[in-house]
Amino acid sequence: MLLRASSDAVGAEVDLSAAVEDAADGGVEHGAILTVFAEAVVRATDELDDARARALETLGPAKFVEAAATVGIFNGLVRVADSTGIPSDPMTLERTADVRGDLGFNDWSGAKASGVAEAPA
Amino acid sequence: MSFDERRFPVPVREDMTTALRRSWADIARPGTWWNGPERVTIAALARDERVQRNDPPWSRDRSQPLLAPLPEKAIEAARKIGADPTHLDRDWAEATIAELGDAHYVELASVVVTTVAADAFCEAMGIEHQALPEPEAGEPTRERPDGMGDIGAWVPVQVVDWNRANVARALSLVPEGVRTFFRMVAAMYSGTATDFEKMVWDHRPLSRPQVELLAARVSALNQCFY
Repeated sequence: MLLRASSDAVGAEVDLSAAVEDAADGGVEHGAILTVFAEAVVRATDELDDARARALETLGPAKFVEAAATVGIFNGLVRVADSTGIPSDPMTLERTADVRGDLGFNDWSGAKASGVAEAPA
Repeated sequence: MSFDERRFPVPVREDMTTALRRSWADIARPGTWWNGPERVTIAALARDERVQRNDPPWSRDRSQPLLAPLPEKAIEAARKIGADPTHLDRDWAEATIAELGDAHYVELASVVVTTVAADAFCEAMGIEHQALPEPEAGEPTRERPDGMGDIGAWVPVQVVDWNRANVARALSLVPEGVRTFFRMVAAMYSGTATDFEKMVWDHRPLSRPQVELLAARVSALNQCFY
């Protein structure tokens, strides 16, 4: 939801499928660099060194650190949600109703825990 | 000193290293329900299991000795939340909470998520994991906060005067755990409450859509809708 809202705020059209597809840029500047980097960290793949070097080279040190920090903290945040079964916020469910089915969110393991699977489309 | 700036290949904002350092030190202190050695053991279990996350659970090396003895369910929970968040479900959580107690479970989760976030940051930066802190002596405070209630989560959460995102109250049964983890969240993602409400960010080098794309991709890879 925040990806869409923040893109709307700057008049950009974001392709939300970038959240669920490998190496997609979603219409966000350097999007593919960022998603490849995130994928390599989460999956601990052999491509991590290359993905990191490419992110640092493309983004520069300050933005690279922000990207690393975001990837790091969200590995914690997803576990906060998934270990407590905290329900999704009503506004989030409302604003994602049009895309959850198409993007497969309702089938995720975390969807049942957060009430997404039962929420109206 | 933990998270020494000299370990990083490029400069890291001081408020971020300060937050990491303070939260890392918190892991070693007596908590609300677990003591320092137990908390560091929880962190070690989560780390050891997560670094083997690409191997199936039954083939992982679990021969590392425990720093402090823990109930079997706590050992299982630290490993599972650390390495296999997609395998968590209500039945498992209820069985675990029935044995450990809800507040013990929430505090354990807070230690795991703090450890995982710091470890994943180090991996992203291309440096070794920070050595786990030396546990401090002392007894847990065993203080249960007032104002907890049921909003459909697996654990009680704060229900009085709440007007923020649910995830921010997920650990509220253990306020110390909230402080430890969400200090890092503020430094590494959200900024202040005012910053977070803005859809156009000027307090971070990356644009907000860039940050949210990363957040969405990490969440999707973990099959977490929240």
